[in-house]
Amino acid sequence: MAIIVNLDVMLAKRKMKLKELSAKVGVSTVNLSILEQGKVKAIRFSTLDAICLALDCQPGDILKYTD
Amino acid sequence: MLLTTFFLIVGFFIFNFAIRKSLSSKNYFTNNYNLFTSTVRYEKSFDLSKELMFEKIIEVLSNSDFKLVETSKSKFEILAISKITFKSWGENLYISFETSGNETTMKFCSVTIFQIYSWGKNEKNYTDLLNEIENSIII
Repeated sequence: MAIIVNLDVMLAKRKMKLKELSAKVGVSTVNLSILEQGKVKAIRFSTLDAICLALDCQPGDILKYTD
Repeated sequence: MLLTTFFLIVGFFIFNFAIRKSLSSKNYFTNNYNLFTSTVRYEKSFDLSKELMFEKIIEVLSNSDFKLVETSKSKFEILAISKITFKSWGENLYISFETSGNETTMKFCSVTIFQIYSWGKNEKNYTDLLNEIENSIII
């Protein structure tokens, strides 16, 4: 997959646990774990917006494209 | 004689319903020699860990029309039941997981209760579950 999910990196930078993010964003920890592994089928703009708000970052900090 | 037969059938029917909501009766219902059930088995692989897949299916079943009845984290087994409809008395869904390399194989088994023909309900349960899984990985 050419899209790399750097959610774990951002979580480490913000010193936040997945469970904490789950409570803030309203997405289950199971789904966030699947997102962390880059195995989700799609991500809604509303979810991305909530994650960026909770982690105080840009979408580009979480998602990266590599060849 | 007729009355005895009637009570035997009713008794057997009640017995099946009484033991259906337990994972320990899995072998009884899924056994090929059980002539009073209709069983379908499917397998599907996902590139997720067994633990994550187990949690995911529990979440999917909790948010679906199926009723989650029992889970066993030690055996990675799940029992859910479907609703009673005019077509069937509801089916038991047994889901278990096996790891093969980096993938996890979900083993799905849908069994009718006291019914030898499922009228396509067993197959529909599998399709419905797959659709629920597909929809749930859009976050």
